[in-house]
Amino acid sequence: MTELHKLTLTEAARLLQSREISAVEMVGASLARLEATEPLIQACLTVAGEEALAEARALDQAGPDPARPLWGLPLTVKDVFLTKGLRTTAASRYLENYIPAYDARVVERLRRAGAVIIAKTNLDEFAMGNSTEFSAFGLTRNPWNPIKVPGGSSGGAAASVAAYQSPGGFGTDTGGSIRQPACLCGCAGIKPTYGRVSRYGIVAFASSLDQAGPLARRVRDCACLLAAVAGPDERDATSSLHPVENYGAAAARPLAGLKLGLPRELWSANLDPEVRSVLKAALHTLEGAGTKLVEFSFPSLKYTVAAYYVLASSEASTNLARYDGVRYGRRAGGSGGLAELYVSSRQSFLGPEVRRRIILGTFALSSGYYEAYFQKAARVRRLIRDDYARALAGCDFLLAPVSPLPAWDLGRFIDDPVTNYGLDLMTLSVNLAGLPALAFPAGLGPTGGLPVGLQLIARPFEEMALFSAGLALEEAFPPLL
Amino acid sequence: MTLDQKTAERIAELARLHFDKDPAAAARLAKELSGIVKAMDILNEADVAGVEPLYSPLAEVAGPRPDEPGRGAEPEALLDQAPERVGRFFAVPKII
Repeated sequence: MTELHKLTLTEAARLLQSREISAVEMVGASLARLEATEPLIQACLTVAGEEALAEARALDQAGPDPARPLWGLPLTVKDVFLTKGLRTTAASRYLENYIPAYDARVVERLRRAGAVIIAKTNLDEFAMGNSTEFSAFGLTRNPWNPIKVPGGSSGGAAASVAAYQSPGGFGTDTGGSIRQPACLCGCAGIKPTYGRVSRYGIVAFASSLDQAGPLARRVRDCACLLAAVAGPDERDATSSLHPVENYGAAAARPLAGLKLGLPRELWSANLDPEVRSVLKAALHTLEGAGTKLVEFSFPSLKYTVAAYYVLASSEASTNLARYDGVRYGRRAGGSGGLAELYVSSRQSFLGPEVRRRIILGTFALSSGYYEAYFQKAARVRRLIRDDYARALAGCDFLLAPVSPLPAWDLGRFIDDPVTNYGLDLMTLSVNLAGLPALAFPAGLGPTGGLPVGLQLIARPFEEMALFSAGLALEEAFPPLL
Repeated sequence: MTLDQKTAERIAELARLHFDKDPAAAARLAKELSGIVKAMDILNEADVAGVEPLYSPLAEVAGPRPDEPGRGAEPEALLDQAPERVGRFFAVPKII
């Protein structure tokens, strides 16, 4: 038998359900792999080894259950998902010692489905970043090449999956934070429709954009993971009542006849030659398979980065007002009054990128600038959403690059926020429009040998169709892991 | 527009943050913020006359749950997370 840690999630689930392997064996194999790879990759902020093995033993005692489709599977969750009794930091000094009193709904549903949480993965502090270098607890390295970033903000989740530490993990995607690291690490990952997955118990960044979703080595693995957590939640008023389909049972649809829209503004953007080369070959493959590719113009896309950073920072500035040194997290000392306590706690324990975005958001919301920035960005957001609706009415899906660069050298953009924010051009608009998008690997760069990915964007709540097409695309573009 | 350092410092104060005391670091942050704001000015080119703002992408959501008593996390467990508590209260410096 292949080494257990190399099994895909779907393969492992089958062997666990049929008792060919035990939960302890599977969880133990993942933990051993984690221990062997973690010194270099540093994908995890907290490893719950003993707790995971204890849970696995209890599962083995009770036996597998077809009603628990993730029974015995070791998974990771990004360290923004609250885990009862297990430290949850959001990669911030402010929450360095925070032990939640309850589980996020996603975590609760994963446990109910039989999954075992083995680790909390690294991220850019409060999910603000695209490289995981803005974690307060150190960077994560890309398993394809350890001098490269894994992407972000769910960089730990992607690196962990790519290093075979676990067959799947959960991240969050506010502006590409699942799709971009999945792409840079050669994984599959889906950002579901806004409202598809409950945000209850997820450390908030920008509440109208945040959405949780899975990363894994196969499209079907992502489908199984999403099926376990999707659906309405009385504790998240923005969760959707739209029926959840049996995503795990999706069947590959024929690529012939599939009509894919290519937004010209994204395809003609400044793509790295490695990315351009892989994507050109990919389009050729798709045409050869009988897919119809239709280029179209999407004029509002040029405002994407500006609109996104205004809106996301504004929402962040209000969401992060809760970190005041009073109710939880850390408090900085000082002999002054309450106002000084707020300022010194925030200044001492929130990182520089987080503070920069809070100031930017406060600016966009402040008197005198509200109409010119926040309101203007919100109006542009409607243009972008309407442009998407029009484009998607004329084709089955949209197809776009995920990142203009393959994984870049650690440190390359750390002092250049404007260039760094611009790297998110391909992913941000999907969050502004609230659409589902599936990222999948398209191949390896011919010179650098690093993964290059594509994303398939669908109409709201068409996750099932996305998975069906994704399974077919996975046949056309073999998985890299 | 450009965001001058004085305005940026006032905004930081509104956000209950402050600028670095080191003048060089403060100037660098102000310059970075100004650069970002300048990049955001592309929004002025967008024709949004008559376009309503969109604050959330989807209308079809669960909405508020029924107003019925239920159990959340234990108050004691939540209070225990405070950096400082006094009995059933979060403790803060004296304000009056």
